[in-house]
Amino acid sequence: MSRWRYFIKRVLLSIPVLFLVMSLIFIILRMGPLDPVAALLGPESSGAQTAQIREQLGLNEPLWRQYLDFMWGLLTFDLGQSWVIQPGRTTNELLVSYAPRTLWLGFWSVLLPLFIGIPLGFYAGLNPNSWGDYVASFGGIVWLAMPNFWLAIMALAILRRTDGGGLFGFDWYTIGPNVDSLIGPPPTNFIGITDWASVAGMAIPAGFYFDFSLFLVAAKVILPPAIVLGSASMASELRIGRTAVLETINSNYVETARAKGLSERVIVWKHVFRNALIPLVPIITNEAFLLIGGSVIVEVIFGINGIGSLFFNAAYQADLPLAGSLIFIFTLIIIFMNIIQDLLYTVLDPRVGYDQ
Amino acid sequence: MSVAHDGPTADAGASVDDNETTLRERVAANPRPALLWLLGVGVLFALEMGRFAGGIRSIGAATGFVIGGVAVGPSWVEGNVAGTLGPIAGDIAFVLTAVLLLLLVAVPVRAVLPVSLVKTVGLERSSETDDFLEQVLVAAGVGAVAVLVVATPVGALVDALVAAITSVLDALSSLPTITSREVIPNQGHRLPSGGWDDTFLGLSPAAAWAIRVAVVYAYAFIALAWAWIGYRIFREHYREADWTPRDDSVNRFRNHYWGILGLVIVFSFVVMAMWAPALGPTTAEENLFSPYENEFEYLDGNEVVTVSHGTANLNSRSQGGDDTIGPMSYDDYNRWAPFGTNQDGKDLFTFLVFGARTSLVISLTAIGLATSIALGMSLITAYYKGVIDVLTVITSDTIISVPAFLMVLLLSVVFQEANHPIAAVYDGGLLLALIFAFVYWPGLWRSIRGPSLQVAEQEWVDAAKSYGQSPFQTMRKHMTPYIAGYIMIYASLLLGGIIIATAALSFLGLGVNPPTPEWGRMVSEGRSYISTQSWHIATIPGVFIVFVVMGFNALGDGIRDAIDPESNVGNGDTATTGGGA
Repeated sequence: MSRWRYFIKRVLLSIPVLFLVMSLIFIILRMGPLDPVAALLGPESSGAQTAQIREQLGLNEPLWRQYLDFMWGLLTFDLGQSWVIQPGRTTNELLVSYAPRTLWLGFWSVLLPLFIGIPLGFYAGLNPNSWGDYVASFGGIVWLAMPNFWLAIMALAILRRTDGGGLFGFDWYTIGPNVDSLIGPPPTNFIGITDWASVAGMAIPAGFYFDFSLFLVAAKVILPPAIVLGSASMASELRIGRTAVLETINSNYVETARAKGLSERVIVWKHVFRNALIPLVPIITNEAFLLIGGSVIVEVIFGINGIGSLFFNAAYQADLPLAGSLIFIFTLIIIFMNIIQDLLYTVLDPRVGYDQ
Repeated sequence: MSVAHDGPTADAGASVDDNETTLRERVAANPRPALLWLLGVGVLFALEMGRFAGGIRSIGAATGFVIGGVAVGPSWVEGNVAGTLGPIAGDIAFVLTAVLLLLLVAVPVRAVLPVSLVKTVGLERSSETDDFLEQVLVAAGVGAVAVLVVATPVGALVDALVAAITSVLDALSSLPTITSREVIPNQGHRLPSGGWDDTFLGLSPAAAWAIRVAVVYAYAFIALAWAWIGYRIFREHYREADWTPRDDSVNRFRNHYWGILGLVIVFSFVVMAMWAPALGPTTAEENLFSPYENEFEYLDGNEVVTVSHGTANLNSRSQGGDDTIGPMSYDDYNRWAPFGTNQDGKDLFTFLVFGARTSLVISLTAIGLATSIALGMSLITAYYKGVIDVLTVITSDTIISVPAFLMVLLLSVVFQEANHPIAAVYDGGLLLALIFAFVYWPGLWRSIRGPSLQVAEQEWVDAAKSYGQSPFQTMRKHMTPYIAGYIMIYASLLLGGIIIATAALSFLGLGVNPPTPEWGRMVSEGRSYISTQSWHIATIPGVFIVFVVMGFNALGDGIRDAIDPESNVGNGDTATTGGGA
């Protein structure tokens, strides 16, 4: 099977998967043990209110009709509205106002592990069985075993202790830009669009503003949660990076390069690192899974009102239509990430598709 | 990857070679080592007879519960379907579910059945239809037995038999054991004259408790060592083959210090869960569940007074102030608290050991279900390939595409809010285990798909087919042993993830509800006291989780390197971290 046929097959396969996911959400929400309206209103709900919501959710229709409406709604991104948390606001509105903080968190929690985990892993792989290797590897193993929720509250406790320069000789509150509280959303209005221009009937942003000091505040606020959220990825990048470097450095073409008299510097940078990056591709794309699952916990603990905590509140307070729509969005992101991963693989690694 | 090893072992060839002897004959020829070993087993068993009897009894109770649950299945489906589609559809659904369940139950029954029904009845055709016929016949047999038990006086007879066995086990389980609280008691009080009353040898409660913990762990590790010695004796004296490929794996594991460390941590955790009632300085019943209904004595000034645990707990709370009962200290009531008390004044160590039990039960149930589904599916898809393979790929892709932790969260909310009967069992523990099994089997199946496809291509599988072995036998005897190793690796890694996810859900206030102890809930409750004197409440359970998860990861690494030192399976797998929880 050629590489591109394999890729197209993977993309086509994601269509039935998407439909099955939508059906699964429908089954859980509409055919599960929980009556959606009773969950929304609680036990003491009046008859009129119940009837009204039933009508609005289309629960009076026959099941197959409900199913078609539900699927059509998801496909056209008509994602319904919130009933409990922010009654009356549509899911799309909520997404627009909550997503930037999650994206900001996600951006840093992908970036930080990349720039900490991979260099550490490469260092450990280049110096195997040295003390530095042992410290890095063992640290990675412990780091991987730490649950995010525990790491988060520990980080908070330690940072709180630095108030007034106590424990470690620095004060987190005043180092760099000042922050009043460790918990709370980062400001996301450090960048924005001031002006729109119309080109051929389409609105195109023409003017930007960028507030650097606000950007620093936002980065500082997001740093602890991003490190916590990226912890698992950091550890696995470290481990994979180490193994990959060890494997490449002992391979024949590195021997050859060495025999040719290439300098160690060229060998490491040009021949070892580039090839060692290939096995890291799925790890990096798989971070989407970790980030989406972990963002719930980290956002709840650090009080960042992004989509993760929105989902948690929606589920916890039984705002099921909203929770279902959010899970659909998350799944879309993951399916999309999988396609990107396959694309990257197809481009990077010529062996893909042959051993399937 | 080396495939030629670990294939069908001696049992496949046993029927071919006439010179071979059974294990019984070999033992009879040289009984000394076996007898010595059995003597040791007998001593170990006698020391803990009561606890074993109690364990068998609770396993029996759990089995009864599962059978009851399965038996309700058809009528439950009938009720659901009849509610939406009408009574006739309900009846059809009832019959269909019953048939399906019978066919499912027939699988384990078949495995233990010594004879082939098809051959006995004389219905042999081709191996494929034989397999199906056999399944149907066994299912019919199981159905007949079920009807017999439900509809005739045989049921009452079975009930009476179960009751008799239970009462014998009850009597046995009340026997004192070497690790029981009664043999080494630590709950005593100070005497006005100094010294301690009611404790083991008049020692301080701390010393008595430490001795009991040491005895428990010594017993458990001696039992483990004895099992290993038993394996060595078998290998040296009674095994037919001098060498099998598995010996290499075992030897590799023995020299894998990281894996051994993992095994030791995991074993300590399992011991903690199994001996939870003996390890706590106080019992869960009197300290955690109903503190106001249980009383104890302590020395107040110069006289010995009686007080209820609840009242004492109120004055032993660790809420951040100077009166915190920290780790390794006594409270004002002469009660020893190895890990201090929590914010309600309850003993943290007792809570933790029972929390270990909760974690272990949930994760083992989940992983047991998930691995059986994954193993079954991988055998079937690798053997038959084709449409069923594609369907399983799509199904598993579907479940994998939904972020696992969010799915678990949503499902547990849906079931708990609706007060579904499953959510009541074990305070939501069973529900959680079922959800984990549902969410994680596709990942496991994915991970072992490669090895199963490989083994299905082997000559020995072809040979078994052409020899006339039924598909079921081929899968069981010639494919499973090879895949089992891989599934152990992933199961070990996933166990850590499930423990983290359970704790995370309980931390968020979902998952396992009070009063069943759970580590994540304790982290959540102690959260506000971390930067105070009562730092221990949230810290110690967290450290426990880190250790246990690390242990399972290390064990998984060790098994992987032992089975297949060349492979890279399991490295940085997303499934291993519990979905980032």
